[in-house]
Amino acid sequence: MTDATLSPAVLSARHLTRHFSTRVPGRFFNAKRVVRAVDDVSLDLFEGRVTAVVGESGSGKSVLARMLARIVTPTSGELVLEGTPIPVRSKRTLDYAATVQLVLQDPYASVNPVHRIRHALERPLLIHGANKGDVDQLAKAALARVSLEPPERFMDRYAHELSGGQLQRVSIARALCVRPDVLLADEPISMLDVSVRLGILNLLRGLCDDERLAILYITHDIASARYIADETIVMYAGQIVERSHGTALVDEPTHPYTQLLISSVPDPSDPTSQDPTGSEHATFEVADVGCRFAPRCPFAMEVCRVEDPPDFIVGDGHSSHCWLHANEPRAAVDVALPQRRREGEPTTT
Amino acid sequence: MSADTFDIQAVSEPLEGRDAEVVVKNERSEFVLEVSNFSVDYGVGDDMVRAVNDVTLHLRRSKVLGIAGESGSGKSTLVYAMTRLLRAPGVISGGDVILNVANPDDEKETTPINLVTASEKELRKVRWSHVSIVLQSALSALNPVLRVGREFDEVLKTHRPDMTKVQRRERAKELLAMVGLNEDRLIRFPHELSGGQRQRIMIALALALDPDLVIMDEPTTALDVVTQREIISELHHLRSRFGFAMIFITHDLSLLVELADEIVVMYAGEIVERAGARALYEAPRHPYTLGLLNSFPPLHGRRRELTGIPGSPPDLSDLPKGCNFYPRCPYAMSRCEHEAPALTTIGTSDRSVACWLHAPDPSVPVPVELSRTANPARHATSTQRERS
Repeated sequence: MTDATLSPAVLSARHLTRHFSTRVPGRFFNAKRVVRAVDDVSLDLFEGRVTAVVGESGSGKSVLARMLARIVTPTSGELVLEGTPIPVRSKRTLDYAATVQLVLQDPYASVNPVHRIRHALERPLLIHGANKGDVDQLAKAALARVSLEPPERFMDRYAHELSGGQLQRVSIARALCVRPDVLLADEPISMLDVSVRLGILNLLRGLCDDERLAILYITHDIASARYIADETIVMYAGQIVERSHGTALVDEPTHPYTQLLISSVPDPSDPTSQDPTGSEHATFEVADVGCRFAPRCPFAMEVCRVEDPPDFIVGDGHSSHCWLHANEPRAAVDVALPQRRREGEPTTT
Repeated sequence: MSADTFDIQAVSEPLEGRDAEVVVKNERSEFVLEVSNFSVDYGVGDDMVRAVNDVTLHLRRSKVLGIAGESGSGKSTLVYAMTRLLRAPGVISGGDVILNVANPDDEKETTPINLVTASEKELRKVRWSHVSIVLQSALSALNPVLRVGREFDEVLKTHRPDMTKVQRRERAKELLAMVGLNEDRLIRFPHELSGGQRQRIMIALALALDPDLVIMDEPTTALDVVTQREIISELHHLRSRFGFAMIFITHDLSLLVELADEIVVMYAGEIVERAGARALYEAPRHPYTLGLLNSFPPLHGRRRELTGIPGSPPDLSDLPKGCNFYPRCPYAMSRCEHEAPALTTIGTSDRSVACWLHAPDPSVPVPVELSRTANPARHATSTQRERS
C-alpha cells in the first residue's frame, strides 16, 4: 500500500521534539544537561491503519504518545489534526480529546479501583456531553465493541473482580466510548498474560479494519508489531531510525539497531539464534554528535561519529537512518544482515 | 525472613507419617533436586486456596529446568515454598523436597537433605551456599542504602568466616568480572545502575558461594529484549563454566526453549506437561502448551491471524470440577468436565502430560496438532521451517 491510495492523514506529527533538562550534580556546580527524549519525529496516522512504534525502554516512544495525546507539551514541532494545524502550546480542547484517545500500559493502574466499571465508562461520556439518559446504553455498546459480553455482567463490577485482559478491554472501551478517530495504545499488552495478549492485538486489528480507526501501537515487542502493523517505526534514543510499510522492516532490517533488536528476540524456530554475536556489553551512552547509535554500532564508521545521517530510502516506503545506505544501499545491507534472515525469506511461505 | 520461615516450619512439621530424619547415602545422586507430591496452600480452613497441587519434579545435576506458566499458575509459589522462603499465609501442605548436596570433601558423594522438614539451622547451611535465588525485581532485591560491595561482603562474611577482608574484596571483584561488570561498580548504590546491571549483580551474588542450584525467578521480565539477550548469553556462558543446575521461571515459553533442557508447563497450580525443550516446542501434547506456543506472533513467515487461548486464566478459589483447563480448551470432551486427568507418561517416551486426549483409549482420536513428532535432525541443520 502506498500513501497515494490513502485518504489524508487523520493525525500528523511534524518534527515533534521534546527535550527535558536535568541537572547533573557536580562537586561545586550542578551542570545542566538536556535529554533529547524525542527529537524531530514526524509521522502520519491514517484511518484504518495500525502504525507501530517499536523501541526499548528510554527510546522516547511513550513521550511521543503523550505528545500526540497532548498530555506532554512538545518543545517544538507541530500537530495536524484532520488537516488543521493545532497550536501545540495552547490548552488541549475537549474536541481534541474526543478525537484522540490514549490507552495506557497498566490496566490495573488506569482503572479507578474504588468505582464500578460503569463509572469508568459513563464519566467520559458525561464530560463529552452525552445525554444522561443515553449514557447507560452507550457504555454498554462500548463494552460490546471490545467483546465483553454480556455488558450487564461487567457494568457493576469493580476493577479487582476482572482479570488483566478484561480490564485492558475496559480501558480500551473507555477510550472508544467517546467515538475517537485516533487510538493511541501505549504498550497495551506488556502487562498482560501471554495467553490473553493475542486477544487484545486481534481486538485492535479488528477495530482498525471494521471501524476505520487510526491506531498508534507502541511496543517493545517487534514480533507483535509485525503481527498487526501496516507501518512499523523503530525508535532509538528519541529518533526514528528505520520505518517501513508492512513487514519489510522485520523481514529485511536495514538499520544495525533494528537488526540488533530482531536478533535479540528469542526465536526457537531458528537454532542459529542460540548464541548471539558476542556478549560484550552495550554502552548505553548516546552520542551527542553524529549518529546516536554509533557508540553501540558494530558497523560504525568515521562519518557516523561526526555527522547525524539523514533518512536514506532503501525500498518502497522503507527508509533507514544510517550512513551504511548512503551510496550502495543493497551491498551495504547484505554485509550487515545477519545470516539467518537471508536464509529465511525464500523458504517461508 | 527467619521469623516467617519458622512459622511455616511450625505448620509443616505436624505433618505426620513421614520420616523426618535424613538417611545419609554416601553415593552421588544424579539428581540435585527431587520434589515429590509437593502441595502448597494459601490460608487455612474455608478460605484455603491450593496454589501448588501435587507437583513432582526431578532436576539432574548441571541441567536447566524451565518452568513456564502464566501469572497465578503457581510457578513462583512452587520455588519459594521449595526453598522454604514462602511467607505466611503460604503453607506447605504435603510432599517432600530432597536436595542432594555435594560433599565438599569428596566430589562423588552427596548428602540428601529434606528441605521441607529441615530445621532453620540446617536451612542456613544450605541457603546460598547450595541453593541461591535470583529475584525478578533486582531493584527491590538489593538494599537501596548499601553500596553494592557491601552486599557481597556480607554474604562472604557470613558463609566464609575464614576469609579476610582483602580476600572478600578480591572475590567480589572476581564475581563482577564474571558477569562482565567493571569493579568500580562495587562502590555504587543500586539506583546508580541500570536495570541490566542490577540484574547482573544479582546473578553475581547468587554465584558467590558456588552453589549446586540457582533458581531464577523471571530474571529478565523487567528488562528489554536487547538486555535480556545479553543476560541470557551471560548465563549460558557461566553455566558452561561452573556447571550449576538451574531452575528458570518465566512466562516466555520461547525463551525457555532456547535456554532449558527440560520444560514443565504449569496451569492452575499443576504441571500439565513435562518434556524436553525441543520436543515440547516441536511437538506439544497438551492443548494449553499448544495454545501458549501459538500465542507468540512469529518473526517470519506469512502474516496470518493467530487465536491464542480464549477466556482468561482460572480463579484458583473457584476451579472447575474436572480438568482445570476444560473451560478454555478447544478439544474439551465430556469426560474433561467431570474427571481431572493425572500427569501420566505417554507411551514409552520420557515425557508426560495431563490430558484425557492422550489416555490409552482408542475411541478418542488425538488431534493432529497434538500428535506431531519432534524432528531430532532439525536443530542440527539450520534450515528454517515454519510451524504448521
